[in-house]
Amino acid sequence: MPLTSAARWRLIAYAYGLLVVVGMGYFLLGIPVQLTDSYGNIVKVSNGSFGSLVYGEFYQRSYLRPLLFAQLRFVYDLSGGHYSEWFRAWHVGQVLVLVVLFLRILNPRTAAGAAVVPIGLAMLIGGHTFAGTVREAFPINTFMTIVLCCYAGLDLALGPPRWWRDVAAALLFVFASLTVESGLLLAVIFVAAYAAGARGVSRAGVATIVLLVAGYLYLRFGWLHVGSPSLIERSSGFGFGTLEPDALIARFGERPYLFYAYNVMSSVLTVLFGEPRGGVWELTRALVRDQPAGPGLITMLACAMATAVIAAYVWSRRAEWRGRRFDRSDQTVIVFAAMLIANAVVSYPYTKDVIMSPAGSLFALALAVSARHFIPGRVRLQPDQAPRGVRLQPDRDRAVGWRSSVAAAAFTVLAVTWSYRALDAYLGLRNAGAKARTEWVYADQWFEREGQTLEEPGALALKNQLQTDAILRSPAPPALTGDWLEWFEQ
Amino acid sequence: MKFVPSVSTALGLLLAVPPIAVTLTVLVFAASERAGYMPLSDGPPRNLAEAAGMADGAAVLRMMASGDDPNRVMPIRPEIISSTVRQVTALEAAVWSRRGQLVRLLDDRGAIVGGTMRRELTCLARDIGTDEVASYLMPSGDPGCEKGQTLERVLARSRSTEPER
Repeated sequence: MPLTSAARWRLIAYAYGLLVVVGMGYFLLGIPVQLTDSYGNIVKVSNGSFGSLVYGEFYQRSYLRPLLFAQLRFVYDLSGGHYSEWFRAWHVGQVLVLVVLFLRILNPRTAAGAAVVPIGLAMLIGGHTFAGTVREAFPINTFMTIVLCCYAGLDLALGPPRWWRDVAAALLFVFASLTVESGLLLAVIFVAAYAAGARGVSRAGVATIVLLVAGYLYLRFGWLHVGSPSLIERSSGFGFGTLEPDALIARFGERPYLFYAYNVMSSVLTVLFGEPRGGVWELTRALVRDQPAGPGLITMLACAMATAVIAAYVWSRRAEWRGRRFDRSDQTVIVFAAMLIANAVVSYPYTKDVIMSPAGSLFALALAVSARHFIPGRVRLQPDQAPRGVRLQPDRDRAVGWRSSVAAAAFTVLAVTWSYRALDAYLGLRNAGAKARTEWVYADQWFEREGQTLEEPGALALKNQLQTDAILRSPAPPALTGDWLEWFEQ
Repeated sequence: MKFVPSVSTALGLLLAVPPIAVTLTVLVFAASERAGYMPLSDGPPRNLAEAAGMADGAAVLRMMASGDDPNRVMPIRPEIISSTVRQVTALEAAVWSRRGQLVRLLDDRGAIVGGTMRRELTCLARDIGTDEVASYLMPSGDPGCEKGQTLERVLARSRSTEPER
C-alpha cells in the first residue's frame, strides 16, 4: 500500500531523528561512568535493599529525591554487574526517547513540518542549557530525566482528551517531583497547556496536578521537614566573575532579593540570548576586554535569532491569540513561555546553564513550530506570469515577497549558527569522555585528596571495575587536534 | 513540464541543509573512527613514551599494563614534544608533558628506580622550566644539577639517531 504524503514526511522525519540519535549515541557511549559524580552514588545504591534505600531517601536533609535513587538502583540491579554498559546505554536510551517525543510533539506531516526537524533537533542538542544533560551523568542524568518528563507531559497535554492521559499525567508528575525538585515544573506544563486550550489532560486532571503540588509541599515541609538547601551556600556567577559564598553574603546579605532577582533575570536571558552564562556575562566581558569572543558570539546570535523568529511568530498570530484561538503550535509556544518564567523563578537561588534545560528544550520546540509557520504553502503565480510549460501550483494562503526574503535571511543565520552549535555539542561529548577517563586515571590521587580510603571490599571492587572499564576495556579515541578547535566552546 | 523550485522549497532547504550536513559529517566521522581511520587527530600514541608525551594517562596505564617499560628509550614523532626531541623514555616524556600528576602516576607504579634516576628527572624538569614536576620529584634539597646538561644529553640522544643528510 503506498504511503500517504503525511506518512511519508513523518517517516522521513523519524529516519532523520534516528540518525541524530546514532550520532549522539556514538559519542555518548564513548563517555565512561564518571568517578566524581557517579561512583559514590553507585556505592550508595549497592547497599541494602531497594525498599530501605528508597525509604531512607524520604528522610534526607535538604533534598527529597527518593525516586532518583530508585532509578539508580533499578538500573544497577538490571545491569547484572555490567554497570558501565548499562548506565551508558540508559543515557543513549534517554536521548532516543527524547528525540521520539520531540517528533511526536512537532508532528511533522508536511514538507514544511519535516524541513524544520533538522534545525529543531540541532537546537535541542546544541543548546547550551542542554549540554549538561548529556556531558555528565550521576550516573543517570537527572536533568535529562526532567527534560524527558517535560516533553512527555507536553505530549500528553497536546493530545486528544482521554481519561488515561489524566492518570498518566498524575503519575508522571509524582515520578518527576520525587526524582528531583525541578520535577515540580511539570505542573507548569499541564496548567499552561490547559490555559492555552489543550485538552489532552482534562480540567480534573489539571486540578489533580495542582493538588499534588500542594501535597508535595506539605509532605516536604510539613510532614518530613526535609527543608531546602540554604540559599547562599555556594559560589555563584555575578557580573563579570564568580562570587564566593562569603562575598555573596557581604554583598547581598542584607538584601538577598536583589541577588535572586539577578539570578531570575540571568536565567531568562541565557535561554533567549545565550548570555549571561551561569550568571557571568562572559561574552560581554570578552568584548569589553578585547578578548576572543567567537564561540560566545555565535551562541548569542543563534539564540537571539531563534528568539526573534518566535517573537515574529507570536506577532503574526496576534489576532488569533487575542481571540484565544490557539492551535497546537500556539500552545507549544505558550507552554515554552510559561516554562521559561517558571524555570527561571524556581532557579532563583542559583543560576547555571543546565538548570534551565527544561525551558531550553522547549525553546527548541517553540522555534521549530515558529519556523514552520514561515515556510509558505505552494506559490500561486498569476496566469500571465506563468512561463510556458510550467505547471502552476495552488497557493495556500500567504503572500510571497518581502516576508520570504526576510525569512530566508533569518533562516540562513538560524541554520548556520545552530548547525555550529550542534557540532559543538558532539565535540563537547568527546571532551567529556576524555575528562571522565582522566578522572579514573588519577582516581587514587583524587581519593587521597578527598581524604577517602576505600576499605570496604565491595566499594574497592567497584572502583577497580569501573576504572578498568574506563581505561582498559574502552580506550579513548585519540584527541582531536587542529587550530579549528579554537572556534568551538566544547 | 519544467521544475521551478517554490519559495517554500527554497526556505525549507535553507533551513534543513546545514544541520543535515552536520549530522552526516558526524556520522561519517564516527564510521571512519570505527574503521580505524582517525581523521582530525594525530592518531593514537604509538608507544608508551608518546602516550606520556601527549599526557594521555589512560594510554600510559594501558601500555604499562601490557608490559611496556617506562625506562626504555623509544622513538617519538616530532609533533609529540618537539622536532629536536625524538628519543626519550616515558618518564622523560612525562616530565616534558609538564603534568606533575602524570609523573606521580608513573612514580606510584614504581617507574622511578633509585635516587640517581629521580635526580636526573628533576634536573630535566628544571632545565625545561617545569617547577611543578621538579618540586614533586624533589620537594626539598638541591639535586645539584648542572644547568642544561640533562637536557643536552636527551637532545644529543635524539641527534645521534637522526638519519645523515
